[in-house]
Amino acid sequence: MTTLDQKPASSEGRKDPWSQLLQKVGKNQDREAYHALFQHFGPQIKYYAMANGLASHAEELVQEVFVSIWRRSCLYDWRKAAASTWIFTIARNQRIDMLRKMQRTSAEMPVETEDLWQIPGENENEPVTSLHRLMSERRIRESLSHLPEEQTTVIAKVYMENKSHQMVADELNIPLGTVKSRVRLALNKLKVILQDQNV
Amino acid sequence: MTRHHPDSLSLMEYSAGNLSEPHALCIRLHLDQCSHCRSRVDTLDSLGAVVMEQQPKVSLSESMFDSILAKIDSAPNDQPAMPPAPRIGVLQKLLGKDLSSLPWKRQLGDVSVLDITERFPGQKDQVVLQKLAAGGKAPAHTHRGDETTIVLQGAFADQKGVFNQWDFVVLTDHDEHKPVAVGCEDCITLSVLSAPVRLTGTFTRMLNPFIR
Repeated sequence: MTTLDQKPASSEGRKDPWSQLLQKVGKNQDREAYHALFQHFGPQIKYYAMANGLASHAEELVQEVFVSIWRRSCLYDWRKAAASTWIFTIARNQRIDMLRKMQRTSAEMPVETEDLWQIPGENENEPVTSLHRLMSERRIRESLSHLPEEQTTVIAKVYMENKSHQMVADELNIPLGTVKSRVRLALNKLKVILQDQNV
Repeated sequence: MTRHHPDSLSLMEYSAGNLSEPHALCIRLHLDQCSHCRSRVDTLDSLGAVVMEQQPKVSLSESMFDSILAKIDSAPNDQPAMPPAPRIGVLQKLLGKDLSSLPWKRQLGDVSVLDITERFPGQKDQVVLQKLAAGGKAPAHTHRGDETTIVLQGAFADQKGVFNQWDFVVLTDHDEHKPVAVGCEDCITLSVLSAPVRLTGTFTRMLNPFIR
């Protein structure tokens, strides 16, 4: 493990190490930086694939994600998203894409995955809000560690196993309302629910 | 019932990538126009990243990195494999034409519909475009099952409020309403009907959300 494998611990709203590496890939096609990203995020993405039922395609998904990271790294802007967030959304989209392609031909898909699920920072109208984003990722990391296990379990199932709230309820044998209230409590603490508008 | 903006739980399901394509489309169309909800999704995407980071790691072989390098070398990088979102809107891609020239089917009175479910093969939701003529009224009706609607053009009003372009509405079977198209444009909506149990015939289901 190199020193690059330390956790991003930016405290001043500065670029975290992963975002710096990703930017190097985008600007200079830096293969050393790319390799460091592979070592850090590759194992996470493989777990992600296995957790959501793509075990037999796990390595294929990792490859697809990294090829995609390479090709679109020139679009990456650290001020708009942390590298980890950006890479998570690419992994999510490649997973969706893989499942879609298993189920039908491309002729049957007038709308591409990217039309439906956007990679953060690729909306050209978006103002730069680096500080907000970097802080929010740090805050999430901290808050998540203080949540009760029953809440983190539900969130992990939604994000990693890609289960709907209903499927989580069925699996844990608890009412849907309980799942929803656990998610709401968690999102409240994570400050995602700042102003849910049910006007 | 959710009105005007998607609730956080739906945005979370979107961020996690768990929504069906039609439901994701409704959210995406809203996000394109709503920076408030976009920033909520940004936070949720970061939540996904942090959750992924905290899971167990599964080791990878170094040879995999070599095959990734081989892959990127075989496809030159200078032809952008992923062009930055071409500004042809997702709706136009989906429909192949713009809203004004669609083959609408006139239903009751002021209401026209177009079922576009077949544009989303391999999923169970019914997807319907509906048009309420400017100033037109739809009969009072209730809803069966969940129905997610986004306003694509114009505006409609019911007893709960006014819904403008890009507003997001989820109605359930508890909601009864009597929408009226307001303003001088036809009101066009895109609705996704979750298909839990088919309680009514196809014909009546076609008429959501204006009529059921």
